[in-house]
Amino acid sequence: MRGRPVLTALSALAMVFLLGPILLVVAIAFSSGDTVEFPPPGLSGRWFGKALSYQPFHAALGTSLLVAAGATVLALLVGIPAALAIQRRRFRGRKAVEALFLSPAIVPELVLGFALFQQLMVTLRITALGALLIGHTVLLLPYAVRVTGASLAMADPALEEAGRGLGAGPLRTFLHITLPVMTPGIVSAAVLSFLTSFNNVPLSLLLNGPGVSSLPVEMLHYVEFSFDPVVAAVSTLLLAATVLVAVVTERLVGFNKVFSK
Amino acid sequence: MSRRAVSGLLLLPGMALLAFGFLYPFGITLFAPPAADDPDVLGKLGSMLGDGYVLEVAARTVRVAALTTAICLLLGFPVAYLISRAPARRQGLLLALAVFPLLLSTVVRTFSWLVILGRNGLISSLLVDLGLADGGTQLLYTEFALVAGLTQLFTPIMILTSYSSLSHVDAKLEEAARGLGASSGRAFRRVVLPLALPGVLVGATLVFAGAVTAFTTPLLLGGTRNRTLATLLYDYANVKLDWGAASAVALIMTALVLAASVVSGRLSKVGAV
Repeated sequence: MRGRPVLTALSALAMVFLLGPILLVVAIAFSSGDTVEFPPPGLSGRWFGKALSYQPFHAALGTSLLVAAGATVLALLVGIPAALAIQRRRFRGRKAVEALFLSPAIVPELVLGFALFQQLMVTLRITALGALLIGHTVLLLPYAVRVTGASLAMADPALEEAGRGLGAGPLRTFLHITLPVMTPGIVSAAVLSFLTSFNNVPLSLLLNGPGVSSLPVEMLHYVEFSFDPVVAAVSTLLLAATVLVAVVTERLVGFNKVFSK
Repeated sequence: MSRRAVSGLLLLPGMALLAFGFLYPFGITLFAPPAADDPDVLGKLGSMLGDGYVLEVAARTVRVAALTTAICLLLGFPVAYLISRAPARRQGLLLALAVFPLLLSTVVRTFSWLVILGRNGLISSLLVDLGLADGGTQLLYTEFALVAGLTQLFTPIMILTSYSSLSHVDAKLEEAARGLGASSGRAFRRVVLPLALPGVLVGATLVFAGAVTAFTTPLLLGGTRNRTLATLLYDYANVKLDWGAASAVALIMTALVLAASVVSGRLSKVGAV
């Protein structure tokens, strides 16, 4: 990096700015003090204990895991066939269909949340859990279509033609050729979708009901009304879990593939 | 089965989901909300624009988002450039480090700013220790806080998009420019920057749109005094229960995001020529 002092200095500044605050949260989670302060007066694990025994977080964690897993599976079930049609079939309006499938990503999430709250929960009387599942699935659909589609776009269609030429039926070709080719894309899409849904606030905030609230929303409410290291402790636990997921994904399909689209 | 029927069958579940969970609720809410006392969103929009408050909030939202985009560009592009020119083995690790925060909840990423900017926070006590201030300095609930929080939130996106366009710019072109006598600064400005520009514009659009629609960060760092369109929409929808007004704000927010993507689409076409 010699000879580029300005670039190097700006980059160092950027990395401190990006990662510094996150490390700060981790440090505060281990504080022995009664309030949020930095540097912490001493080290202790007591805020983790308090975070783990706080009941509203338990229920919310259950809801978040259920919705994230459900929406991920639904988005993939619906998104993979759509990606297959968009990548492998020639039909009129293909570009328009692709744009339609990607369009939920352009719309402000809070607007989508408000629309779903009004039309699905108030007008059609769908439960909060149902509305959450539908909303999150819509939110994840563009990721599912784009990431699995990208893995298809990189694979050579000649492989599938060869399979068919050797006498395999469409289903056999799909199961033995197309699906294995798509696997890294599907794993990436699943991980990205799960984390996106799990971390989502704007949709989940508007689509809640009695006893149905997601973990980030409960954390947000907690921070709004009390300011102690409990949220730092939960954040640190989530951070550790996310690092674990990222490392496992890296081992399975490569980290850069998850991010490369 | 005909080929068309197969395509249709593959697309059908997704189309049905989009129609029911996206197009129908979105269309009705933005253009024809069923609230009987207040049926006309455009009329509501007109009267709200007339009173000036919504305009003030919209102006703040755009101002904060534009500033955030500019700083993200300033911080993110150099990181992306250095990563794209690092040895291949180190690129993956550096990129992972830079974009890892994207995998964390915005609540987690925003929480730290309460600690840094609050009245008893890091900066405030630092100022007292240095003898530059004698009491708590409140930096929270200001536009400064909003820009700081949003910049931290979106710099990884800027790094990611800049990196993917920079990694397609062949390093040999830059060497060739230097070989022909250009200084490294000049080679960067005249060769690398123009080639990377379309990707950078995509990143800037994503950051701008994200900052216009961000919710958690303005709620926690802007408070009630520095509302943005997103927190105003939430206030109308969930606190004041004025759904007509919420729909009107939703319309403004959506129009802003679409306008930004149209402008950047034009610009990146111009840049590609």
